[in-house]
Amino acid sequence: MNPNSKEDEKWQCLLQQSAPTFAGTAEPPYGFVTSILARLRTENGQQAEMERIGWRALLASLAALVIAVTVTLGMSYSDRGSEFEPGVRGFVQMENVQVS
Amino acid sequence: MDEAIDVGACLQRWKEGDEAAAEELIRHLYPVISKIVRTHLPRRDDEKDLVQEVLMKTFAKLHQFKGDAPLSHWVSRLALTTCLDRLRAQKIRPEIRRADLTPDESEAFDAAWLSGSSPDATDAIGARDLVDKILASLSPEDRSLILMVDLEGRSLQEIAETLGWSISKIKMRLFRVRPQLRQMIRKLEESQ
Repeated sequence: MNPNSKEDEKWQCLLQQSAPTFAGTAEPPYGFVTSILARLRTENGQQAEMERIGWRALLASLAALVIAVTVTLGMSYSDRGSEFEPGVRGFVQMENVQVS
Repeated sequence: MDEAIDVGACLQRWKEGDEAAAEELIRHLYPVISKIVRTHLPRRDDEKDLVQEVLMKTFAKLHQFKGDAPLSHWVSRLALTTCLDRLRAQKIRPEIRRADLTPDESEAFDAAWLSGSSPDATDAIGARDLVDKILASLSPEDRSLILMVDLEGRSLQEIAETLGWSISKIKMRLFRVRPQLRQMIRKLEESQ
């Protein structure tokens, strides 16, 4: 006789006795479906809102980038030909320093 | 199971924003999820919360469902993973002793020899609490494995598909877990 059979039999009996508590239910409890649908609605709404905010933030960032690039290029174009950096030129003009 | 409703059509309608389709899917999937949650989580855990969590995850990940297997299989795996995550978050309890058992559990343990007798509801709950206590000292994966084999009578192939393990790994885990279970029962027996 298998020396483990006694414990195995006990275990099987315990499972057999508890079997009804493992059975699932076919129907959701009252109000369950409504609450899930409400949560789904809320989550979908939040997701749509986040997407809207995300798109707006992306467009705002792109606009800021375009402005920054335009200003930088404009300044760079206007400074072309000058022998000083813009900050140095400002200092020279302000103090009226003789440079040559 | 999936033949009861047209899952593909329901999914399509849900994607188009039809709430009635979501309701149909919830009612269709509820028994599948409820059974898994009842089996793999201890009885005293909040079943309703977990079923709700699984359903929310299901809807959040529906776009990942390819349709190459029935929806209920895909959801079963999701439900089992959620149960395992919940069990991992719980502290593994130390080995139980006879003195730790409630009167109902103790009675269920003694009555477990009388095979063939049909238990009433109180006996079933006592036995279930005791089963939960015994399983609580195993790892979440071992606990689920034992229940799938001993309670649900699933084949190794089915378990391999559900857990994503190889069959040799399952055999190895069973080989390691069985002696632990036997030892716990032996200890309860000896300290009677």
